Amino acid sequence: MRAGVVKAYIIKELTELFRTRLIIIVYLMPSMILLLFGYGIRMEVTHARIVILDHDQSHYSRLLTSKFEDSKYFDPLVTQMPEQEALHLIKQAKAEMLLIIPSSFEKRLLHGQKSEIGLFIDAAFPTRATTMESYVQGVVLQAAAEVSPKRSEKGMITINSRNLFNQAMRDENAMIPGLIGLVLLVAPAILSALLIVKEKERGTIFNFYASPIRKHEFILAKLTPVFLLHSVNIFILFLWATRLFEVPFRGSFALYWFSSELYILISLGIGMLISVVTRSQIAAVVITVIITILPGFLYSGIILPISAMDHESYIEAHLFPVMYYNHILYDAFLIGEGLEAPTNRLYLGILLLYAAVVLVLGTLFLKKELK
Amino acid sequence: MRIFWAIVAKELISFLRSWGLLAVVLYAFTLDVYIAGAGMQIRPRNVAVGYVDETGGGISRKILAHLHAPEFVAPKRFLSQKELSHAIFNKEILVGILFDETFAKAYRRGDEAVMNILLDATAVSQSFTTLSYLQNIVMSFNKTAFPVVLKSHKLFNENADNHTFMALSEMLSIITMLSILLPAMVFVKEKEEGTWDIMLLMPVDTRVTILAKSFSQVLIVFFGTILCVGFILFGSFSIPMNGSFSAFLLLTFFYIFTSAGIGLFIAAVSKSILQVAQFSMLVMMPLIFLSGAWTPIHAMHPVLEKLSLISPLRYYIEGSESIFYRGTAWIDLWPYFSGVILLGSILYWYGFRKIGKLF
Repeated sequence: MRAGVVKAYIIKELTELFRTRLIIIVYLMPSMILLLFGYGIRMEVTHARIVILDHDQSHYSRLLTSKFEDSKYFDPLVTQMPEQEALHLIKQAKAEMLLIIPSSFEKRLLHGQKSEIGLFIDAAFPTRATTMESYVQGVVLQAAAEVSPKRSEKGMITINSRNLFNQAMRDENAMIPGLIGLVLLVAPAILSALLIVKEKERGTIFNFYASPIRKHEFILAKLTPVFLLHSVNIFILFLWATRLFEVPFRGSFALYWFSSELYILISLGIGMLISVVTRSQIAAVVITVIITILPGFLYSGIILPISAMDHESYIEAHLFPVMYYNHILYDAFLIGEGLEAPTNRLYLGILLLYAAVVLVLGTLFLKKELK
Repeated sequence: MRIFWAIVAKELISFLRSWGLLAVVLYAFTLDVYIAGAGMQIRPRNVAVGYVDETGGGISRKILAHLHAPEFVAPKRFLSQKELSHAIFNKEILVGILFDETFAKAYRRGDEAVMNILLDATAVSQSFTTLSYLQNIVMSFNKTAFPVVLKSHKLFNENADNHTFMALSEMLSIITMLSILLPAMVFVKEKEEGTWDIMLLMPVDTRVTILAKSFSQVLIVFFGTILCVGFILFGSFSIPMNGSFSAFLLLTFFYIFTSAGIGLFIAAVSKSILQVAQFSMLVMMPLIFLSGAWTPIHAMHPVLEKLSLISPLRYYIEGSESIFYRGTAWIDLWPYFSGVILLGSILYWYGFRKIGKLF
């Protein structure tokens, strides 16, 4: 290792990054994505637009509709129109649900006969549809419990649920750590993906071919500046998460820091590997985008836990580093078991191995001469 | 016109020659979409349940018998609450149920029997759905004499099947990414190499050059989309087609052109591919994740919901979902068409002015 040569290379890389004003984007992009997504993505269903056709207009039917009006989960529209027209509203995506209260609702209820309330849900967005369905069920049952007389020949079972780690079921707590995992995968990778292929396309790679610098020194010199720049993001993102979004932090900061540095190294390594094997910048960018953005989101555990996947997705989830890192991250933020939990130790080990493999592969595939 | 086709042909040939790029685009439109659709289930699946039973069986067994595959893994018994919480902390168990001694007694006596449930709330959506499953089970035990039945029908997608939805969302995201990136990069590549100035100096209307160059990339993405819809969406997942297929193709074509306009905009403001990569990340990620493809748009922050009105993807997603699932008629599709076309015209107008001039 010749420190002088490596240092010279590092200084050259840093100056280039500063001159192209990319430095702004290095810090702007992760924070902007975290803020936008943190405020933007909501998994819970609120303001579901429900059209209620009240054909009965009685005391009980109004009692039921008022329950919907009071709920923060629904934006009800109580009207009278032909059912066809209401369906048309759903087709135009102007409403999501249609609740029909039949005209004999109260009469049948008072006589103790069964009456049916019809509910039509737009299931083009399946998860949302299932959640909305269970909300409506909840509202109807709640209204029912209020009017129906108490009876007790056999006990009632009630559920008392406690939510561990995220008592208030805040969306932020469940989302923000996952977003950090996504951002720290995408941003470093896209930066390092062009480092080497750019030189190949411009022809300046011949400087490297002709100079006595070795392959691992070259890679070290290329990755050090971007690695240092992105390391600052670990702290910036941490501050956004804990101060602005008020996500609790229960684990050890050292573990968070160390695993994040490791993760950035992996992400840079993936970008560099792409940079080494591709021949054109366009291909390098497209590959990086395809293999980081969507997998980073899908396999981060934000929208569903890995254990719920099956077949191909389950395998693919294990191929990407984001799953392992996010496990440690969620633990550091919400649980706080740290290295005492065996899974965390295992996943940290996998991350170490992952980093080593990516970097070694990159060095092996890098060529030091013209073929 | 001859010039137009010459440029288109040149771009297509140079695309086909870079086999690496070709392979990635093909992968994105086929395997990638397939994988996303095949294994993604947002409904609970393989939920690991643990329980502590101090009642000695009976009613607790009956409740547990309702937790079966594929939603739940066979419930695992723990001897004490401590052991159970430990398993939840290690993420081995997602839901823990506690039946204490009073539970069965109270139930038989006719009092309120409380069933304690511990949920790992780091996976919010899964916990919510699991909880509502349990509530439904309990409800069937409580069989109140209340004579109201809620008959619910899921329109357009009876089983709330997630596979087609995930595959469709993935495809729309891929279309967006490629149709922004590819045009942006063909322009900036010329800028970087200095050949763009020569193009502008040639006695050809620059608007023809710009349109031809973006048209070539639009063709590539459009072809990929057709492949994807044909083989993956219809072939593997048999997505319903309740609307008109030609409406979808037309909307797709306009949409790809519009997002190529976003690419043109990015190309206009950046000087090198490195900058294109960074800028397009900045534009693409909010565009994809906040336009309603993966998360519902009406649950977003009101400011962002308004902002999403300038995202062409929002119109495209709603339009495509309407065509595939809701079977919306041509006449009701006009908001989507006009939204996409309007945004596209603005982007091209800006692109012509900014990138089409030498000075």
